[in-house]
Amino acid sequence: MIVKPGELTGNIRREADVAIIGSGAGGGPIAKELAEAGYSVVVLEEGGYFTREDFDFRPGQAFMRLYRDAGQTATVGLPVIIVPQGKTVGGTTTVNSGTCLRVPRHVLKRWHLECGLRDLEEDELNLLYAALEEYLFVKRADPEVVGENNLLFLRTAEKLGYSGGFLPRNAKDCEGYGVCAYGCPSGAKQSVDVSFIPDAVRAGADVYTRCRVERIVVRGGKVTGVRGHFLDPRSGRRTFRMGVDAPVVVLAGGAFQTPSLLLHNRICLSSGRVGENLSIHPCGATMALMDEPLGNPRGIPQSAYVDDFAPEGIMLEGVTLPPAIMAMTLPWGGRRHAEAMCMYSRIGTFGSMISEHDSSGRVVAGPSARQPLAFYNMGRGDVERLKRSVLLMAEVWFAAGARRVYTPLEGFKELAGARDLGRLARTRLRRAGIYGLSAYHPMGTCAMGGDPHNSVVRSSGETWEVENLFICDASVLPTSLGVNPQLTIMALAVRAAGFIDDRLSEGSIDTRNASRLDRLRNRLRREKESTIVQ
Amino acid sequence: MRAYFARRLRLLAPIFIEPVEGLPPADPEGVVEFNREFLRAGTPAFRLLYYAMILVLQALCLATRGKSLYSLPPDEADRFIQSLYSHRVSALGAVPAVLGTVIYMSHYNRDDLQALLGFDVAAMREEAAQRGVQR
Ligand SMILES: Cc1cc2nc3c(=O)[nH]c(=O)nc-3n(C[C@H](O)[C@H](O)[C@H](O)COP(=O)(O)OP(=O)(O)OC[C@H]3O[C@@H](n4cnc5c(N)ncnc54)[C@H](O)[C@@H]3O)c2cc1C
Ligand code: SF4
Repeated sequence: MIVKPGELTGNIRREADVAIIGSGAGGGPIAKELAEAGYSVVVLEEGGYFTREDFDFRPGQAFMRLYRDAGQTATVGLPVIIVPQGKTVGGTTTVNSGTCLRVPRHVLKRWHLECGLRDLEEDELNLLYAALEEYLFVKRADPEVVGENNLLFLRTAEKLGYSGGFLPRNAKDCEGYGVCAYGCPSGAKQSVDVSFIPDAVRAGADVYTRCRVERIVVRGGKVTGVRGHFLDPRSGRRTFRMGVDAPVVVLAGGAFQTPSLLLHNRICLSSGRVGENLSIHPCGATMALMDEPLGNPRGIPQSAYVDDFAPEGIMLEGVTLPPAIMAMTLPWGGRRHAEAMCMYSRIGTFGSMISEHDSSGRVVAGPSARQPLAFYNMGRGDVERLKRSVLLMAEVWFAAGARRVYTPLEGFKELAGARDLGRLARTRLRRAGIYGLSAYHPMGTCAMGGDPHNSVVRSSGETWEVENLFICDASVLPTSLGVNPQLTIMALAVRAAGFIDDRLSEGSIDTRNASRLDRLRNRLRREKESTIVQ
Repeated sequence: MRAYFARRLRLLAPIFIEPVEGLPPADPEGVVEFNREFLRAGTPAFRLLYYAMILVLQALCLATRGKSLYSLPPDEADRFIQSLYSHRVSALGAVPAVLGTVIYMSHYNRDDLQALLGFDVAAMREEAAQRGVQR
């Protein structure tokens, strides 16, 4: 059952086997796995519940309904970076682009060697990835619907000798409406709100919406439940109280909210790592004025990639912008802005994502648990990488016939050709001179690791300090991932569900249990067979 | 939103959204209404910053042009806004940029405008409603 605030008549206090805070990429899969395993599961989600009928192609409305703080969340530091996050059933997956990538091998190796996570075995992860890809209908974006913008960029990049292709995405029968970030209006995108959560509910889970957890109850070193409040959808004010008594609690509020909740509850703090180690994958974007219309924004926004520079920490990924978003992004106002918007259909867009090497960030408790503060400063090397990504995109756009390329770099807002590229290449950028940057993958603030002194959770997802309190969201990723993270978050969540099952049924967890892989294989096989029978 | 800021936004809307042939002009009431909702849904920090920018913009105009922004002829107001956007000091460019983000989002969020730019939202909404993908 999905419970909306209008259906409530008073305070709620109940019991469950598992209480899950958050219904996004981490919370949704755990809810499904455990509900289907026969446990009573309660999911508490701060955001509202919306369906495809509510998604109306208007970015402005989507920001206000589906995003935390209307998408205005930003980091404090140089440069200022907007970090939008979902707040709705399905979490950020409801508004994400649907790209599904596995953890790169070199990153997993780093987790093994530097983070003490050797028991995150590649074989096991691959099994989980494969099962998730099948469940979510993951396949490469269909060239028929990727749209002219992405096609042109990719084809030109390939002509220049750069490697790339179409991204794997969790969409079924996608028609390329181009508005994934504002809620998929056809239900093609297999975000958590249309996949894991409905399946969890079918298996008996209850999802309470507009319900914010404020307190995690711990007694004698063990978690025993959560407390919170329902929120009035219009004013955001607290209404009824909510309490769940449960032997297992899963914290899956995302990389900003999860550490904030721990900091406000003053739990799991002895390693000093809660909130530390924030990475976000800063994103640059370029816009290019072309001679011919590109049919924007129709087409899958994030459908093509260029990965030639991935070893340097630079991924180029497609993006298209509906008029309202392009209008916000253009670097001018007044008449110049209006004239540029008249050429909207001729403006191409492409984005870049930087995997951090020397930037640093942290989330600290803000004035309220709801509003944590995120500090983030880009390092010199990462600023250079961002510049290089802009140069590469501009090079491709000019080769594709662009008349002008617009960038987020002060002094280089408008590039006219090779001379400007040369000038930019020689310039050492000031961090304060980079504007309008955004980032979509906050992670790492409750890092998983093999040592309780420098990590917050074990490889099972259970916190080192509080028994039966698991963290399953982007915050556990121990380093910058280098690729879009949702599939890895889901894989770790499903893996953690197995450990929670162990704990609830047998009372113990052994992450090195040799038979675990076989059990996982059997479980996935059984699930597959039961889906085929249905 | 205080009446004072609503009044200022009503005046700012046509300065930021210059009329161009083929596109509808600014709808100041619509801009104010959208801003009201958007700021209410957002962070207190952004709200404060936004209101501060309205005041700073006016102060900058008084300081550099000797006149209120709202009393400048449209061409001069446009030049003033442009000069800030392209100012060497990026903090000055941020003043209209912050205000512009919400003003432009509200204006170009309109169905009629999006359709004129080739993104026929109403038609796609209908198409999507009929498609309804099932798992
Ligand atoms: C525009 C955009 C596009 C993206 N595109 C991609 C992509 O294509 N591929 C990809 O892999 N990743 C993408 N991402 C990132 C990806 O969606 C996130 O990394 C992922 O969803 C994070 O999962 P999570 O479980 O950590 O948090 P979320 O999915 O954000 O879920 C957390 C949920 O917890 C709720 N919550 C938080 N605190 C509380 C509380 N105290 N009480 C109750 N509920 C609470 C929140 O409201 C939220 O719904 C994108 C992100 C954005 C913003
Ligand atoms: S491109 Fe359109 S149909 Fe495809 S997933 Fe995105 S919003 Fe849905």
